Order: sequence, then C-alpha cells, then structure tokens
Amino acid sequence: MTATLTGREARAVPARGAARRPRARRRVAPYLFVLPALLLFAAFKLYPIGRSFVISLHQTVGGTERFVGADNYTRLLHDPLFWTALKNTAVILAVQVPVMLALATGLAVALDSTALRARAVFRLGFFLPMVTGLVAYGIVFSVLLNKDYGLANWLTGLAGLDPTPWLTDPLWAKVSLGLALTWHYTGYNAVILLARLQTVPAELYDAAAVDGAGAWSSFRHVTLPGLRPALLLTTVLSTIGTLQIFDEPYVLTGGGPDNATLTIGVYLYQNAFKYFDFGYASAIAYALAVLIGILGVIQFRFLGEKS
Amino acid sequence: MLRTVGAIAAGAGSLGGLTACSGTGAEGAGGQGGAAGDKEKGRITVWSWQGPAAEMKALVPEFNKKYPGIEVTVEDIGNPAIWDKITTGLAAGGQGLADVLHIGVAYLPGYVEKFPGGLADLGPLGANAYRDEFAQGMWQTVSPDGKRVNALPWEANSAGFYYRADLFEKAGVDAGALQTWEETIEAGKEIKGKTGAHLLGIDKPASQADAANFFQMLLQLQGAFYFDLAGNITLDSPEAVKAMTLIKTMNDAGLVSDLAGGWNALMSSLKQGTAAVLPMPTWFGGIIEEQVPQEAGRWKVRLPPAVRRGGSTAATVNSTHLAVAGSSKHQAAAWSFVEFVLTRPASQVKIYRGKGIAPALLKAYEDAVFHEPSAFFGGQKKGEVFLEALKAPSSAFNYTADYARALKLVTDAQSKVLLSGADPAKVLKEAADQLGRQTGRKVSR
Repeated sequence: MTATLTGREARAVPARGAARRPRARRRVAPYLFVLPALLLFAAFKLYPIGRSFVISLHQTVGGTERFVGADNYTRLLHDPLFWTALKNTAVILAVQVPVMLALATGLAVALDSTALRARAVFRLGFFLPMVTGLVAYGIVFSVLLNKDYGLANWLTGLAGLDPTPWLTDPLWAKVSLGLALTWHYTGYNAVILLARLQTVPAELYDAAAVDGAGAWSSFRHVTLPGLRPALLLTTVLSTIGTLQIFDEPYVLTGGGPDNATLTIGVYLYQNAFKYFDFGYASAIAYALAVLIGILGVIQFRFLGEKS
Repeated sequence: MLRTVGAIAAGAGSLGGLTACSGTGAEGAGGQGGAAGDKEKGRITVWSWQGPAAEMKALVPEFNKKYPGIEVTVEDIGNPAIWDKITTGLAAGGQGLADVLHIGVAYLPGYVEKFPGGLADLGPLGANAYRDEFAQGMWQTVSPDGKRVNALPWEANSAGFYYRADLFEKAGVDAGALQTWEETIEAGKEIKGKTGAHLLGIDKPASQADAANFFQMLLQLQGAFYFDLAGNITLDSPEAVKAMTLIKTMNDAGLVSDLAGGWNALMSSLKQGTAAVLPMPTWFGGIIEEQVPQEAGRWKVRLPPAVRRGGSTAATVNSTHLAVAGSSKHQAAAWSFVEFVLTRPASQVKIYRGKGIAPALLKAYEDAVFHEPSAFFGGQKKGEVFLEALKAPSSAFNYTADYARALKLVTDAQSKVLLSGADPAKVLKEAADQLGRQTGRKVSR
C-alpha cells in the first residue's frame, strides 16, 4: 500500500517540481551568492557586536563573569578620564576636521584646474599619505617632532626660535596630533571631492561667467553647491574616523602627556588590553557607537539635500 | 644531587615515552599524568624578548643534548609587544599562545587573576622541589598561596645606582659617601655646575609606561608600594609623597633631563652622557657596557642611597619569570625546558655572561663569574654589589591585578609634577582616590 503511494507521489513530485524549479532557483540563487558574505558578516561583525553588548553588562571578578546590568554604563558617566577622552576627541573634531576639509576643498579645486601641469603627479602625491602604514607614519612623525633631534625643531631653530615641545607639552601634543591627522587624511578627502567636482557641468561655469560672476562668486554659487553631497560624505566619514581615532595618539603620544591626547579609542584599548577590564571597554565601545550614530543623524539633517 | 634526580626522572620519562606513545604519560618529577604530555617529546614554542630570547636560543643546542626529542623554537616577540600578545592569547582561551611564556612581575598577578587556568600549575610538574632555591621573596611572588605555582623565577633585579665616576670626580663629590637622596641632590647641583651634566633623566611626559621606574624605586627602597599586602591602595602614603617630593626637588633645581620617547631617548642620553647617574636595576649594567664600550673605566656602580638616613639601600625592584601556558598540549616538555633554563646554575651563568641578566637562582652565584672584577666598572666586583642587595632583607611587594591602572595614574601624577609643578601630595591623593573608584579597592590612609 504504502509502496504504491510513495511511488505515485514520487512520480508526481518531479512533474510538479519541473514546472516550479526555474522560479524557485531564481529565488534561491541570489541568497546562495550572498551567503558567504552574510556568513562572514555574521561571524566577524554581527556576533562580536552582540557579544560585546553582553560583555558590557558583565564584570569579571576573580576570573568569573558576573552580571552587573548597567553598572559599567553608570561608571562611565562618573569617570573623569572618559570625559577627558571625550573632550579631547571633541576638540580634534571641532578644530581639525573643518580645517582639513577646507584644505581638501581648496586642494580639489586646485587639482581640477587645467592651469596645473602634471596634475596626476600632484594627485598621487596628496593621496600617497593615505596608503602609508599607520605605524610607519606615526614613527616618522615622532622622529620629525622629537624635541631635541627632530627636523621640525631644527627648522624652527634656523629661524631663531626656541625648540618646541611638540609631543611633550599637553597643548602642543594636541597640535601635533592635528598636524599628523591633517597630513594623513587631507589628500584622501581631496580625491573624493575632486571626483564630485568633475561631475559639475562646465556649462554652469560658462553661464556664471556670462552673468558676470568672478572666481569667488562662481566658487560660492557653482562649485560649493555642486560639492554638497561629497562634502556631506567627507564630513560624516571624517567625523566617524575622528571619533574612533586610535592609531595616531597611540603611536605618537600614547595618550599623554597627562592624558592630553587620550581619545575614546585609546581609553577603550587601555581598559581592554592593559587593565583586562573587558566589560568596561565594551561599555565604552557602545557609548562611542551611540555617539557616532547621533552625530551622523545630525549631520545628515543639516548638510543633507533639502528636497 | 639534583643532577642525579634529573637523570632518574629523564630515564623514567624515556621509558614512559617507549611504553606510552599516546603522549599522555607525564612520568618523572610530576607523575600527575593527565593532559600534560610527554616530558621528553614534543614541539614547544617559547615567547620572550630581545636579550633573554637570544640567550635562551643559545641554550637550545645544549638542551637538545639532554632532550633530543623536544624541538624548541624561541621567538623574540619584543618588549612591550609581548604583553599585548599574551593578553590577547589568554583572552582567547589560550588560542595561539606559545607553550613557554616569559612574564614580568608587573603582569603576572593580572594574568593569574583575570585568566584563571591561563597559566599551568607548575607544582604537579615538579616545581615545588625548587621552593628554597631562589632569592628571598621570589617564591611568594610566583606562588602567593603557597600551593599553586604560576611560574618559576628567572631574574631578580635589585635597585642599582650606576654613575659616571669621572663626572663625580670632576665635581669633587665622593659618590661612595652619599648616604641619602637629599645628599645626592646636593651633589647633583655641584655636578651640574661643574660639568653641565644632569643628575638623572626621567621620561617627563610619560611617553612610555615605565616612566615611573625611578619613583617606584624610591618607594620600594622605603619598603612601600602602590598597594599593601592586603591589596589596599597606598598610593598617597607618606613614603610615596616623600618619593615624589624628592623628584620635584630635583626637577625644580634643573637636575632632571627629559627622556621623552622612552627607551630610545634613554639610549641617546646614555651615549651623549647627559646624566651622571642611571638609577637602574641590575640588568642595566649589561646595557651600559654594550652601548658605550669606549667608556670603560669611567663607570661605577653601587647600591642607591637611602631615602631616609639609615634606611634600606636594597630593594628587589622587579623580576621576570617563565610560565607554561595552561592551553599547552606539551606542558611536560615545556616544563623540561623551563627547568633546564632556570634551575641549572650552568644555564644561568651562561646567560649572565652573555647579557648580564641576574638570576634569582641563588646557587648560580657560587660561580666565579659573579665575583670577578669588572674591567668596565673600574675593577669593581659588580656581581657582588647586587648579590649583597639580593641577600639583604627586603620587603615583598603586592603588585595585584590592578598594577597597570595604578601605574598609569602614577605616571600621570608624575607628569603633572614634572611638567607643571603640581603639588606631590595633592596629585597622589587624587590618583589614590581615582584608583579606588576604578577598582573598588579601599584607600588605606
């Protein structure tokens, strides 16, 4: 009995399946193609993100993980060093990012100009810092800025100035960090802006010229509006990058002197890998993520296309 | 005697190797069996840094004469990179860790407390046989509860006072007669006036984690530390305030050169002769000889002056140890290597000859090398100077798992004092309070 039944069904299934298969394949195939990427994303992004949240609710005491709820987060609010790190990061964000983006815009316009010979060489030159290894450039800068043997002080010495404590004075250390960051990322942002600049139709400039606009007017009324989406992109990317900044202060100053260049990233690292306080470090990571989210939304509100 | 025991153990081990190919027989000294592996066979990796790594590498051929079945790879991870690497490995449950780990005293309690089981208990492998072989206080450091043995001591570094005898002479100061650091500061003023050299150097902005070495030495000379033996915070004790005040006095008098940049700055200062004194532990003598060989005869060494008149001039300021990873599949073989390197006077003597690394193993000091006059240090018996400190009664120091946090707060406080003239008592009190909030430990006042 059962044998015939299964037999009939077995015959029936391919008949029905044959008609359905192409559609089913169409639906399954895309997922199969993205599956490896999804699996990797889940394993190396999604899982750590989730796990980090769980860890942020725990504290390791005597080798055992203990659930402490929001303790790590309330501790964060009362931690003067976290606020110092936040303040330092905010200062870099408020001072260095606008300076860098203004420079990058100027650079993009200059690199776009047909008056410039060997433009490719300049473009390469300004982009090159971006591909330099972070540690390598950190070390080069710490040598350049060395108070006693650095090139920077040798040059200022020629001008008759006293040696500047670039990395060892709380204020100058912040300035040095800003200089290093600007050197590193300006070219990168300039290239993004340049790409956008080349999509601005030449007719607009012609029209502006016909209307009697000078160089400044056509920059203000044609170039800048044209750059708007790229400016938004570079602002958001720079903001996120700056909030996460780690390599430069880690290599150049170690967060010092006296925490003058301590950033959230460095503080997170110290807590996790110097103090083995993984719970607290995870809480810092989440606080940072929330902060980045909020700033991202604000920037999109203010700089995004007005429809 | 020890050698006979070793030979018997080795014999038993090789028998075990013949009969039990599965590699689970841990015969010999330990006899615990389990997952420890074979004492005679296996492939082990050793993590260390620069000098010690080179010295261990040099010992491998000799080791292989005794243990031909163990293949040893010594890796120079570099210091301080090794600490991050070990932390990451321990946090990953031992994945990717080497079998033998070289660990400094500052890190050992943290690793043990935060990663239970991360380091193997060397007791069952046979470590307890060596309990009384090491310098005073060393066993307490590696086996705080007297049962579990987390590591075996290697170096025991005593506080030292290396000085440029020629500069002292030019200034007309008798370095040997200095009894306290206050007298040394006065001497420093003479030296600065007559030769232009600073008394000593400190990494003022604390560009490296070890910027507070000198402060810590002044503290330990008084038998004090960041924590007391019960683990309470003593960061702003009268001893600590005294130590920081001495540093401030020196700095205010213009006697402290800035070693911002850490090790490299220290080396160039050494080569340029910027400072008359290097208040560094035992192992630094080897570095001076290596860096400025042409200055032979100009250098001398003594134990540091006391902080208070009549106080101690001896302190074990740091030590390093070899541990076996808890995750190692060849714990017994790893132990064989640790035992060979650290408990055999011949190994330690060879290492001392190579790099001037001072052993904690007291028997090693019976060798003539520790009692020879040193041509570099003006014919002084440098080995004996430090042996005297090692034998002197010195306090045990409780590094606790929160040492790294304490050190960070101390170096910040020191930077405030050195860079902006802050008040020692005030910054240390703030640091102590902050440490209390961070760790939940009690501040003892």
